[in-house]
Amino acid sequence: MADKDSYIHLARPLPVVSVPPAQATTSPLSVVINAQALFSILDHSLRRNADQERVIGTLLGVRSEDGAEVEIRNCFAVGHNESQEQVEVDMDYHKAMLGLHLKANPKEVLIGWYATSPELNTFSALIQNFYASNGDGTFPHPAVHLTMSTVPGQDIAIRTYISSAVGVHPDRLADSCLFVPVPYEIKYVDAERSGLELISSAKNNENRSAEVTTDIHALEKALEEVLEMLDRVSEYVARVVAGNTQASAAIGKFLMNTLSLAPKVSPADVERMFNTHIQDVLLVAYLANTIRTQIDLSNRLASANFGAITTTSAAAATTTTATNTTTTAGGK
Amino acid sequence: MADKSKIVLPASGPLKSVQVDALVVLKICKHASSAHPQVITGQLLGTVASIGMDVDGELQVTNSFPFPSTDLSTSSNDLDNNPASSAASAPRSKAGAWYQTEMVRCLREMNVDANSVGWYQSANLGNFLNANFIDNQYFYQNTLNERTVALVHDTARSAQGALSLRAFRLTPQFMAAQKEGKFTSESLAKHNLTYKDILIELPVSIHNSHLLTTFLHQLDTPPTPNPFNPFSQSNSIPLFPNFDSLDLSIDPFLEKNCDLLLDSIETHYTELNNSQYYQRQLAREQVKISAWLTKRKQENALRAAAKQPLLPENEWNRLFKPPVEPSRLETLLNSRQIEQYAKQVDGFTASVTAKMFAVNGGLSKTQEQLQL
Repeated sequence: MADKDSYIHLARPLPVVSVPPAQATTSPLSVVINAQALFSILDHSLRRNADQERVIGTLLGVRSEDGAEVEIRNCFAVGHNESQEQVEVDMDYHKAMLGLHLKANPKEVLIGWYATSPELNTFSALIQNFYASNGDGTFPHPAVHLTMSTVPGQDIAIRTYISSAVGVHPDRLADSCLFVPVPYEIKYVDAERSGLELISSAKNNENRSAEVTTDIHALEKALEEVLEMLDRVSEYVARVVAGNTQASAAIGKFLMNTLSLAPKVSPADVERMFNTHIQDVLLVAYLANTIRTQIDLSNRLASANFGAITTTSAAAATTTTATNTTTTAGGK
Repeated sequence: MADKSKIVLPASGPLKSVQVDALVVLKICKHASSAHPQVITGQLLGTVASIGMDVDGELQVTNSFPFPSTDLSTSSNDLDNNPASSAASAPRSKAGAWYQTEMVRCLREMNVDANSVGWYQSANLGNFLNANFIDNQYFYQNTLNERTVALVHDTARSAQGALSLRAFRLTPQFMAAQKEGKFTSESLAKHNLTYKDILIELPVSIHNSHLLTTFLHQLDTPPTPNPFNPFSQSNSIPLFPNFDSLDLSIDPFLEKNCDLLLDSIETHYTELNNSQYYQRQLAREQVKISAWLTKRKQENALRAAAKQPLLPENEWNRLFKPPVEPSRLETLLNSRQIEQYAKQVDGFTASVTAKMFAVNGGLSKTQEQLQL
């Protein structure tokens, strides 16, 4: 994998000028990235103008109280022009968009910026210094810079950096800084799990799309997967028993642990619990269907005939009694 | 669904399906879960695949943004100050419109498809069918653009395993009835509208870009044994498959669903009482009118016999006021809602029954093996 790096944290040098050192932090920083932000960056990278080599944007998220951990939750694109000599970032746009985003997500704050090329150059330093600056930027917290390479045919490499000033000539202070790599982690929020599952189920399809399925289909798929895994494991075990494959102690331990998880209940108990529960469930299903029919009937009667209203209400009365039973059953 | 085939859609390229970008799915999931269980709304952006392209009548949703959940100009409408209702009506409100135009303007600069193709809403166990939902979608389909959809993301159901994301549109019949603004028995009969014909559901599919496909493959690569590197990314929960749907404890869901169903039925009952009350009033008035009419007729007969000028017989229009029929919209929506709950219960029980049979069969076998 392209982004398997190891890190050693060095306290970064504090900015040399006009900054009270007490406020600046040198503690290590770890970055957590939500999948949504990454997807957003990829989308932006696809929508860049043909002549642009890289695009940049602002990262938003939350910062832990001591500032030692940041979570990148969201991001938006910012327009910029880059030529040999100069770089121009649309700062008004950045400010307007930041305002709009903060209105919808009041909890999120400015974290840093991203670029869709792994390169770090003078312009990167210039932009980085803007994002880390006092006032509009993230000061006194460090600004996070995330690079994501989007070269076709290669792995997508993600890197995260924070910066520190380097002691060159004061005139060059604005466009020079030292990028310090920091470790990051990609995190999936529980709420996104079901969405991500569906998205990644499409990754092997040729047309890159997947249908949104119903619960019962999802269950079917999950069961198929489990069966497949069981087959794989039993095949492996059979091979080991036959002596064709070298046995692995780690896998053996895992299998032992899993097998010991099987609950110890007597078959009679299982049978009894099963029977009582299934009756409840089936009753609820039956009642739900009855209600559906009743409602249909009631609506037909109501629209077909004014005089039939009395019949309808009788039907509704039955419906109510029916659901009363439903709750008792559901409550079990 | 059988009732879908009956609907005659307008000839000019009807929408047949909705394709949602992976990014939008995640954005909606995140927004919905951040405010759960409150209802949130947001804007969908994208394009409509027109005739001549590969897929005819497919709505492509490629981006989205959330509406601010707290009302920005509380002074303008002091009627509903609680944030839930302001979020639900955000797609139509004035402050929302300003926010939308600003956001769309900004996004257009970044080459994002800046056409409004609809809006999204979160729901909890399918409880989204209410007047607000209908009003919003009517607003979109009527005022902005006919070809818009409402995406409903069900947070509670998605937590159970399978993502629940559904696309809805109002039917032409309902649009016509809503345009007239009244829902009496008469107008319902005229438009041939029943509670089943309020919404059309469109099939939803999810689409990934090439770049994203690459990235997903990369994310899912099996972890390489590298014990000396505890810092870098090493969480290896596979994204797919997700075994949440094998969870057996479905009872809380079922119970919640039954509660909601009961509530709806209570509403239905109230509505019925209202309409019954109206019927009684109407009957009473009709009795009075006919009594008056016979009296007038007798009087006229006497007058005719006495060669006096006849009294007008249609004066009852002025004398009696028949009661106004209550709107049937609420009943319609409620019926649709009840139907939805009932279907949901059906779905839940179907999967839980399957799982229970599996557990029963499996467990007793394991026990036998253990005893051997």
